[in-house]
Amino acid sequence: MPRLKLYQEEFYPSPLQNTWKEFTENHAAVASLYCVLFFIILVIFGPLLAPFDPLQQHIDSLLVPPTWDSNGNILYLFGTDGLGRDMLSRIIYGCRMTFGISLLLVVLSLFIGVALGAIAGMSSGLRSSFLNHLLDSLMAIPTLLIAIIIIAILGTGLVNSMWAISLALIPQFVHQTRDLVRNKLKKEYVLAAQLDGASKSHIFFNSILPNMGEMLVVQATLAMSTAILDISALGFLNLGAQAPSPELGAMLSEGLDVAYLAPWNIALPGAAIFLMMVSINLVGDGLRSALRYRLLR
Amino acid sequence: MGKIFLRHLSLLVLTLSVLSLFSFSLAFLFPGDPLTNLTGVRAENQEAYSHLAASYHINGSLFSQYWHYLGQLFVGNWGISFSSGLPLAEEINRSLAASIELSAYALVFAFIIGLPLGFVAGLKHHKIIDYSLLSASVIGYSIPVFWLALILILIFSLQLGWFPLSGRIGLLFDIPYKSGFILLDILLSDLPNKSDAFYNALRHLVLPTLSIAIVTSTIVLRTSRRSVIEVMNSDYIQAAYARGLSSRQVLLKHGVKNALIPILPLLVMQFTTLLTNAMIVETIFSWPGIGNALIQAIYQRDFPAIRAGMLAVSVLVLTFIISMDLMIRLIDPIRRRPENATA
Amino acid sequence: MSAQLQAYPALSYSLLIMSLLFAVAGCGQSTPESAQPNGIIYCSEGNPTSFNPQLDTSGTTVDVSSHQIYDRLLDFNPLTGEILPGLASSWLTSKDGLTYTFQLRKDVEFHSTSYFTPTRQFTADDVLFSFDRWRLKNHPYHPVSGGQYPYISSLGLHHLISNIERVNGYRVEITLVQPDSSFLANLATDFAIILSAEYAQQLFQHNKQGLIDLHPIGTGPYKFDSFRQDRFIRLKQHPHYWRERSSTQQLIFDITPSSSLRLAKLMTGECDAIAYPAHSQLNIIRKRQDLILDEEPGLNVGFWAFNTTKPPFDNPQVRKALAMAVDKNALLEAIYYGSAIPATSIVPPTSWAFQPDLKSINYNPVAAARLLRENDIEEGFVMNIWAMPVERPYNPNAMKMAELIQRYLRDVGVRANIVSYEWVTFRARLNQGLHDSVLIGWSADNGDPDNFYRPLLTCEAIASGTNRARWCSKEYDDLISQALQYTSQAERAYFYNRANELVIEKMPLMPIAHAFRYQAYRENISGLQINPYGGIQFRDVSKR
Repeated sequence: MPRLKLYQEEFYPSPLQNTWKEFTENHAAVASLYCVLFFIILVIFGPLLAPFDPLQQHIDSLLVPPTWDSNGNILYLFGTDGLGRDMLSRIIYGCRMTFGISLLLVVLSLFIGVALGAIAGMSSGLRSSFLNHLLDSLMAIPTLLIAIIIIAILGTGLVNSMWAISLALIPQFVHQTRDLVRNKLKKEYVLAAQLDGASKSHIFFNSILPNMGEMLVVQATLAMSTAILDISALGFLNLGAQAPSPELGAMLSEGLDVAYLAPWNIALPGAAIFLMMVSINLVGDGLRSALRYRLLR
Repeated sequence: MGKIFLRHLSLLVLTLSVLSLFSFSLAFLFPGDPLTNLTGVRAENQEAYSHLAASYHINGSLFSQYWHYLGQLFVGNWGISFSSGLPLAEEINRSLAASIELSAYALVFAFIIGLPLGFVAGLKHHKIIDYSLLSASVIGYSIPVFWLALILILIFSLQLGWFPLSGRIGLLFDIPYKSGFILLDILLSDLPNKSDAFYNALRHLVLPTLSIAIVTSTIVLRTSRRSVIEVMNSDYIQAAYARGLSSRQVLLKHGVKNALIPILPLLVMQFTTLLTNAMIVETIFSWPGIGNALIQAIYQRDFPAIRAGMLAVSVLVLTFIISMDLMIRLIDPIRRRPENATA
Repeated sequence: MSAQLQAYPALSYSLLIMSLLFAVAGCGQSTPESAQPNGIIYCSEGNPTSFNPQLDTSGTTVDVSSHQIYDRLLDFNPLTGEILPGLASSWLTSKDGLTYTFQLRKDVEFHSTSYFTPTRQFTADDVLFSFDRWRLKNHPYHPVSGGQYPYISSLGLHHLISNIERVNGYRVEITLVQPDSSFLANLATDFAIILSAEYAQQLFQHNKQGLIDLHPIGTGPYKFDSFRQDRFIRLKQHPHYWRERSSTQQLIFDITPSSSLRLAKLMTGECDAIAYPAHSQLNIIRKRQDLILDEEPGLNVGFWAFNTTKPPFDNPQVRKALAMAVDKNALLEAIYYGSAIPATSIVPPTSWAFQPDLKSINYNPVAAARLLRENDIEEGFVMNIWAMPVERPYNPNAMKMAELIQRYLRDVGVRANIVSYEWVTFRARLNQGLHDSVLIGWSADNGDPDNFYRPLLTCEAIASGTNRARWCSKEYDDLISQALQYTSQAERAYFYNRANELVIEKMPLMPIAHAFRYQAYRENISGLQINPYGGIQFRDVSKR
């Protein structure tokens, strides 16, 4: 039985609730959010869901097509690759690697980037101007180039490519944080806090940081899609994850050799990356729209 | 005006020096002997080695080594490649020209497609055409560029046989190197079958340009759409309508200019993403650009080439961005106000 | 509403762009690469290290230079293996087998390029220069470009020849230290090329000796034009070639390390012929009407060599155990897709020295694990397997094979890491002996079994770099030398059989497979034949 509302109550949704309400109006964004949650589940529960070990080679079942093809086998849902490894397991582990590692890198870069950006934003004077312009210019260097240099120094491999990509993601966070901090510093409530005698760090943690939350989330989704793209690009170029690791980009590169015999070796890993990117981008878009319009309705 | 110019120039010089310092330090960071990494010359015996060391002031302080290195850069000695044994300066020149050509065409193409479509989407905000363009654009920039290139090759090159999939031009055409830009070089050369060569080069250009342009044009589309929406919602546009100007007049007189200006800085920032995509696409299509050269260099552990390539690309990117920034400041009336140090 | 006007320009825009694209695509429909100048494009698999096959045994160097840029004194008939006249129009052997006299051909012109114009024709001086360069340690050109002549030193030719004499301008006499029944065959291999003494002289005067191997001059059907590293090699027709040849004006080697990319280019017509089609793709080539696939049993062997100078691989029991841990037949199926035969020794069945009843070791992981433990190799032992990044006739995918071996070794408690570099870098590092084990092989250069036994496992071949196992056994060397003393095949086979048994007992390398050789090209190419004795030949190749 529905609860009776005896008294008229004014319901003022908080900004967060407003954002959520606005977000849910966008069906595509909600669907993508479910997709993202699905990937997060894969990251956590992947090993339980995958039918086979991704490194296990079944010599007697090389290049088996996916189940929906007439030559397919129900045992290998997505078919097998040139060494007889089950594609479904590899893709699950691959999504797990790509998504999970991107998440990790984004969080890491976020912390470091925000810290650096805060310092840059809170300080003023010639030194900060110098740092700011330098940072802006360094942001201009393509991420792939930074990755190549770091890999040239440290060697190939997944861990080294992770360092490279996080280094490439940090400048964005720094830039945005610094801009935001500068903007907020001019606001009256910060002025009020300064007049009250608050120290710089107090102002930052109490007045500015809470207001940065939304921007950071949006920036994080952008960084996430960049990270996914970069990890798989480096894997594809054989500079990141090495064979036999089931990283999606590396799988794509291995699949090139048998592209005509077994097109699913290219189609499926690529589709997985595509799906990840689309869902993250749509969630990010939805969030940005929601933040923009939450107060207008 | 001059002040702004000077500021940008000093910024350029500053960042370039930081970059050269970084490139110099890389010689020490890369595995192997620093002198060999610096020069690219593999000395055969102890005597040749000490001779080389003396000429590069290895025995002096780090600063004098750096200074000497800087001097060498300006003279045009960018080192010798480990794998080919040839001077890097010319290799880098050629590769850079090829990359610039590809990226420029892709950028232009992206603008030709993205800008008008973005305007249409912005003007028909929240209508069907807007939604369809928006969904198309999300798909466009979510596709990993290497997957897109592979699919384009599978369909247009292998299945249909319309376009070739590697190189800039059919290898049987021997085009002498003049500027490094293939279309220009064909026109400047005195070959008997120029139109055949030109047509051939065009066909080689299509798929790589498309791979990069599709991704970039979606970003152009979204940015211009956003800008148009904001401009059309602003007060002066409303005022123009209120004054009785027709839609077309409003658009042409006020809308376009004001919508274009905020787009430019955002798109300039996209240049780096374009370059990253271009580097990946170059590898897939065997386009002889700087991206392909850098990736081959790292496969072959050719450290002098990596350093020189990095320096060249960074110089290109920074020069482009800073000069675009300067140009924007000059033509944008809002930002032309005098700046103080911390603003 | 006038805002609707905006939609139409957008749509018509898109249509305009699309039609432009179709226009560019549409004309010249048959293949994307019609309307090109006269020439053949061959997709090769890697960079040559130089343009002189004397300096290098790699197929990439041999393919571009040996039969294109240069000629030899003698040649092989590709079908029968019979020795034919080349730059030597006839020859005589003395009764004691120690002296060979060669009559040289007249009216043979050298190449005329942008960097060299010959003033005289081919004479005995050129033969002398080409041989003395590697034969005499104090020859001024001996140390040029490294001073290593791997094929020649692996066969011991520089010790074999005691003297070469110029009898007159067109006659040369070569004297040997001892009779050697494989000598003439060795003169017909890819490596016994003839250089230009006049060019060498000119370079010497300008102190630019190294250029002789980088900007080559020879008498062959094509002359060198340009080389862009990792991209292409351009050769142009030599208009005054002494033999009959096709009218092809340009020959381009398009360097494409990836085999799937080579196949793709063959299908779009960007390449007219390709090197080493991947075994997994052979059926596709067979099915297509516009492509031709030639197939022939190969004179090659692919093997897994252990670095016998590095402990614990200096212990034959350890090597045997590792070999027992791997199932050869599985490798054949997964890597060669059935187009190879398992190898028990280093010579293939097509050689007369093949031993059909040879007993080799079998796949036995349990015994392998036990043998490893007995020899102090515990669980978790780490070793590396070096795998070639390029296809070779004897191993189309070393990386994949390494992954398979990795898995087999895991079953016996050994952890293997796979190491690879770009091909030229790979071979350079391999020469330094940095590897624990390597997946590599050997393709024969003539029909003589000595061409397998000597370069692969003799002590002398370590220095020349062809003995990847770095194995030195006096017993083996003696057997191989003794075999050359006899001319009857049955007598020689006796020694080779003993050598086979020694190799199985000591296991410096594990022979894996003898692969079929394939040639894939477009159907409008004629004159291309598989050369079982070495590098590819484009002399008679033309495009319709």
